[in-house]
Amino acid sequence: MNNVTKMFLNLVIIGAVSGAILAVVFGYADPLIQANKEKELKEAIFVVLPEAKDYRLHEKTIGKEKFTVYEGVDAGGNPVGVAFKADGGGFQGNIGVMVGLNLDYLRLKGIKILDQVETPGLGNRIGEPAFEGQFKNVEITPKVEYIKNRKPEKPNQIKAITGATISSDAVVKNINNAIAKALANFPKDGWGKGGYAPSGVESSTPTGVRKETHDGGK
Amino acid sequence: MAENNVSLWGEFKKGLWQDIPPFRLVLGTCPTLAVTNSVKNGVAMGLATLFVLFFSNIIISAVRKYISSQVRIAAYVVIIALLVTVADLFLAAVFPAISKALGPYVPLIVVNCIILGRAEGYAQKNPVVPSMIDALGIGTGYIISLAVMSSIREALGFGSILGFKVLGDWFEPWIVMILPAGAFIVFGSLIAAINYISQRKSAAQKALG
Amino acid sequence: MSETLNQEKLLVSSSPHFLKDESIPKIMHTVILALIPAVAASVYFFGLRALLLILVCVGVSLLTEYAFQKIRNKPVTIYDGSAIITGMLLGLTLPPDFTLFGAILGSFFAICVGKQLYGGLGFNIFNPALLGRAFLMATYPVFMTTWAEPRTIAKAVDAVTAATPLALAKFEGKFAPLTDLFIGNVAGSIGETSVIAILIGGLYLRYKGYINWKLPLGYLGAMAVFGGIFWLINPVKYPNPLFHIFAGGAMLAAWFMVTDMVTSPVTPLGQWIFALAGGVLAVVIRLWGGLPEGVMYSILFMNAFVPLINKHTRPRVFGEGAKEGEIAPLGGS
Repeated sequence: MNNVTKMFLNLVIIGAVSGAILAVVFGYADPLIQANKEKELKEAIFVVLPEAKDYRLHEKTIGKEKFTVYEGVDAGGNPVGVAFKADGGGFQGNIGVMVGLNLDYLRLKGIKILDQVETPGLGNRIGEPAFEGQFKNVEITPKVEYIKNRKPEKPNQIKAITGATISSDAVVKNINNAIAKALANFPKDGWGKGGYAPSGVESSTPTGVRKETHDGGK
Repeated sequence: MAENNVSLWGEFKKGLWQDIPPFRLVLGTCPTLAVTNSVKNGVAMGLATLFVLFFSNIIISAVRKYISSQVRIAAYVVIIALLVTVADLFLAAVFPAISKALGPYVPLIVVNCIILGRAEGYAQKNPVVPSMIDALGIGTGYIISLAVMSSIREALGFGSILGFKVLGDWFEPWIVMILPAGAFIVFGSLIAAINYISQRKSAAQKALG
Repeated sequence: MSETLNQEKLLVSSSPHFLKDESIPKIMHTVILALIPAVAASVYFFGLRALLLILVCVGVSLLTEYAFQKIRNKPVTIYDGSAIITGMLLGLTLPPDFTLFGAILGSFFAICVGKQLYGGLGFNIFNPALLGRAFLMATYPVFMTTWAEPRTIAKAVDAVTAATPLALAKFEGKFAPLTDLFIGNVAGSIGETSVIAILIGGLYLRYKGYINWKLPLGYLGAMAVFGGIFWLINPVKYPNPLFHIFAGGAMLAAWFMVTDMVTSPVTPLGQWIFALAGGVLAVVIRLWGGLPEGVMYSILFMNAFVPLINKHTRPRVFGEGAKEGEIAPLGGS
């Protein structure tokens, strides 16, 4: 066997074997990874909409972006609130917030920080319940605002974290931007009896379809 | 047989002190600095690296005679990349929280110089069993290094180790220790300490000899 | 070789070398004297707690220097006064309610890492006091940015913390009156608020000839001019030039840190570059950075460039030949 053939065969065999192994591992891991993501999303929705037992998905395309709204429903299928994700830059990177909004579009039901890479011990305290909890029942008109070093005076204010104004500011800004989007694209009158038509597959109870697929993948 | 055991033990032991990767070989410093802000992350990174190193050493040692030398680096990189991807997918599937915390550093094991360094420097010249032991030694040394680094940083930066409070409420955490600057401070101090100890050791040996 | 230099306390600088009746202890003790007004002002505005902070910083600085030199079997040089100055400067840049443990930690870091690890006085790249402060800023970011009103202002009942004039200007668009800033009747680091006290010390040093006038003038001038440009563009949004040089740490830094003989360039051109760039940088951080104050980082940043500045602004001596084995290029090196 000459050298060129050997080199060629070396790489082809290694590549082919590696590819095959990867395909098998991916087949096992991908459903699990998807399930993890789904679980994380679901938990976040249920945190910001505590009465919700399930959710329905609504999507709208704004320009090139997709805007997704999760309609939380109780056991009887009645809407209890809407949740959506608010993304935007923080002190060091993206901050992703799940925002829960009352159906009357007047107050927040709650928020949860999903992704953040803020300074540990300082900016990342936006992820602590003490900060997140402040957003419960905060009014959104005209805007959510933050205030420094003092107790909030107005119903639309929260207290910024001492020493981490930039992170607190980013959270509030993201929330306001996303609320504006939700208000513009899903006016509150639409949530009445008929509601918006859900897009895509409706989510199911926690032990849903997803789980079976990954069992099959094993 | 006994002699063989001793030398294998020696192969293992060298990774723990004499060639302990980040402090002595100064290899794999990127994750050492980046993910050691908590013990959990540090040890998880060490385990992932050990996994990749262990199998890459075994595979490369096993196929060393069949790979032509011109394409060996390309072949090693494919093998290492495969193992890293497997580790990354496994972590994301089974330990999503750790996978999120380690972020891009798991895929970056592929460029960790410890792995390619051991492949080039050891596995391609030695049979499977010593390569395996070498990987275990170096990998364990790496885990120990990351554990020591991250214990110091987590203790000073959060007042805890593995999430358990080790310093009382009187202790006000030093935020700097969880920041990149703290990584450099601790890394430098540890290299200084290890150099100091080994200098004293060799001085003591000289005095004896 | 470097050790001999350190022992004999030689300051290596470009020619010409004059023999003067000066020594490191003499200069340092004059600087300490010049800092006394600032210390007095800090006690007047923030009470005895301020004095305690400064004394702790000085004590720990001396102790660290002593311990380090003992352990390394080097001659002990704590009587030259340089550690006292580092301790005083660090103490003066701390907030009034800062923890004593933090002050101890910062002083230890300043002397140990900022000075002795580089080889002692004359070899450090960064100003030790500022390095100690930067370390504290990263270690205790909340304590380091929690301010109290000076004693001279009656405390409002619910105000636990106060905002510095710079923070007010940056985040709320309010500018403190210049007279308050000049006297020091504002919240801030204990020794940085009183412009008049610092100015007395700085001018005394200038009178004694220990300060190169280019450095403070260049630094404050660059801040005033660069900040002034934006003030002219939009006086509502940006503070005026005098505010820039009166507020925050600008005064103290300009007279006592920018002028640090070890960490500033030795050539006149280099000193201009160092001071002007530092001043512009401080204003850039103040106006567009995440932090309200940029003086500390601007000086530390410029400190890093000092060896480079020295190298490229070295005057060419008439008749200076090429280096060994090298042909002199036409038109200078």
